[in-house]
Amino acid sequence: MAHILRPIGMMQTSTLAIEFSRLTRRRVFILSGLLGALVLSLWLDILAGPSGLSAGQVIDGLINPQSLELRYKIILWDVRLPDALIAIVVGAALGLSGIETQTVLDNPLASPFTLGVSSAAVLGASVAIVLLPSVPFVPPAFILPVLALLGALSSSCLILIVVRLSGGARETVILFGIALVFLCNAIASGFHLIADADALQQVVFWTIGNLTKAGWLEVTIVTCCFLAIFPFSIKHVWLLTLLRGGEAHARSTGVDVSRLRTWVIIRSSILAAFAVCFVGTIGFIGLVGPHIARLLLGEDHRMLVPGAVLCSALILSIASGLSKTLIPGVIIPVGILTAVVGVPLFLFLLIQRRGRSS
Amino acid sequence: MRLSVKNLSAFYGKKQILHDITFPDVDGGMVVGLLGPNASGKSTLMKCLSGEKKSKGNIIFDDDNLQEVGSKKWHEKVATMPQTPPAPTALTPTELMWSTARALALPYSDKELSRKIESIFNDLGLSDFQLDALHTLSGGKRQLIGLALAFIRDPELLLLDEPTSALDLRWRMIVLELVKNKVQQDGRVSIAALHDLDLAARYCDLLVLMKNGKVIASGPSEEVLIPENLARVYHVETEIDLSKPGYPRIDVVGAI
Repeated sequence: MAHILRPIGMMQTSTLAIEFSRLTRRRVFILSGLLGALVLSLWLDILAGPSGLSAGQVIDGLINPQSLELRYKIILWDVRLPDALIAIVVGAALGLSGIETQTVLDNPLASPFTLGVSSAAVLGASVAIVLLPSVPFVPPAFILPVLALLGALSSSCLILIVVRLSGGARETVILFGIALVFLCNAIASGFHLIADADALQQVVFWTIGNLTKAGWLEVTIVTCCFLAIFPFSIKHVWLLTLLRGGEAHARSTGVDVSRLRTWVIIRSSILAAFAVCFVGTIGFIGLVGPHIARLLLGEDHRMLVPGAVLCSALILSIASGLSKTLIPGVIIPVGILTAVVGVPLFLFLLIQRRGRSS
Repeated sequence: MRLSVKNLSAFYGKKQILHDITFPDVDGGMVVGLLGPNASGKSTLMKCLSGEKKSKGNIIFDDDNLQEVGSKKWHEKVATMPQTPPAPTALTPTELMWSTARALALPYSDKELSRKIESIFNDLGLSDFQLDALHTLSGGKRQLIGLALAFIRDPELLLLDEPTSALDLRWRMIVLELVKNKVQQDGRVSIAALHDLDLAARYCDLLVLMKNGKVIASGPSEEVLIPENLARVYHVETEIDLSKPGYPRIDVVGAI
């Protein structure tokens, strides 16, 4: 038993340090690869479109916008760039929201969808389209996103109240989120019943998820929201990793799990609210992006949080590019393609991981 | 270093779980065994001692009263190994140890931390599994990782809630031997909730026998582990052999 009872600190060399740093380097390499893939995807997304803008023209136009003809300048700076960038920031926001929600609720199915944020945004959008197509002194383009945002933020407030009342009990939060989904869907369905054909088509189109309505203002708002919240997520990466060891372990170390859960749910739901209000409910990204990152990078949240952000942004960016190129002359709503892109990739990684484990 | 627990009471809602718990003061270098049947209040007492559950009464350790010092200061001295082992996720033991150390801002450089983790894993026979996912490990291995997580903090008061429940006979002895050695070397205090009376008698310096949230008996093993107490608490008939050196041997004759 002597070797087992050797006092701590007697080891001369640390092979663990070598192996652990090798693992960390491999994961940093994967993260770098994801970042590279995202930059490439952004570039291809900007190039995609029917107007015949060449790569050289795009580079010139990005460096010196005045060098382009006016119509090309408008296409590049007012259509393609905002569309391509909103795909990345919305994907990043939903990915961050998804990974944090999954971790603090210890539930692989958790996402902005399961907290009811997306459904509440649909309800707000339905109210805007069906009941308030025009409001005096308010530009029509603002009514829908503002009401969708109000709907989503209202659901965030309700979730916060439930979190406080339940002391942060995760089962209660999940069950309330699911109940909220059903409630919002039921009320929205009521509005759909009284909607005319045009309004109903608009609601369906918005619900599927679409990036083409976004401009620089929307890109700026979602980016600012993401940048305001991301540092808090990074600050909590150790605590979130520790929490993956189980709630009992986290509590035993003195971590106030209920408080951590409350803060994370507040910021995740706000982030998801801002992400979906402009582009519709592209909720699948917030579920599958974090899972793909987990399969690639493991559970260490130093890697997993940025990985989930990059994976989700990448999927939405690829879907955005495909939405403009799959059928020439037609823009397919991106919400349809996120699942088409994400599910095969997810299944591939899942089967590959299972095969390796067995 | 001394632990003093006097007149401790705890409630879940309006239901009182612990009733006026008092046991002899525990000096540095001692291991205390908490004994009792299921639902006797051992885990609740552990949670009160760790500061996880609020209680009434006095818990004083090293001149700090839990009711007066903040939770943060208390957790600098106290580490708990909970009854539940770390969750079977894709996290590796090393990542969990590392994140725990960094989340709690333990003052180790990366080099020192990796040496310390490696040394603890070596002590607990976990070296071959340090980079395996937790979900691939057995319950017993994860229980040992739970103990490693308590060790990484170098606590002055080490609380162990059924630390050997998922371990085989050899590792039960190794773990308690390790705890006893650590406690004796550094003059620390450990309290372990145990179901195994023989192990408790063998490794603990002081026993506290509980039933229905009350202390039935406390003191050295030869005073606590007597047939009358065991019959009252466990409803079993026992014979105690005090003739062999070291600690009393308990022979359970049958249920009453």
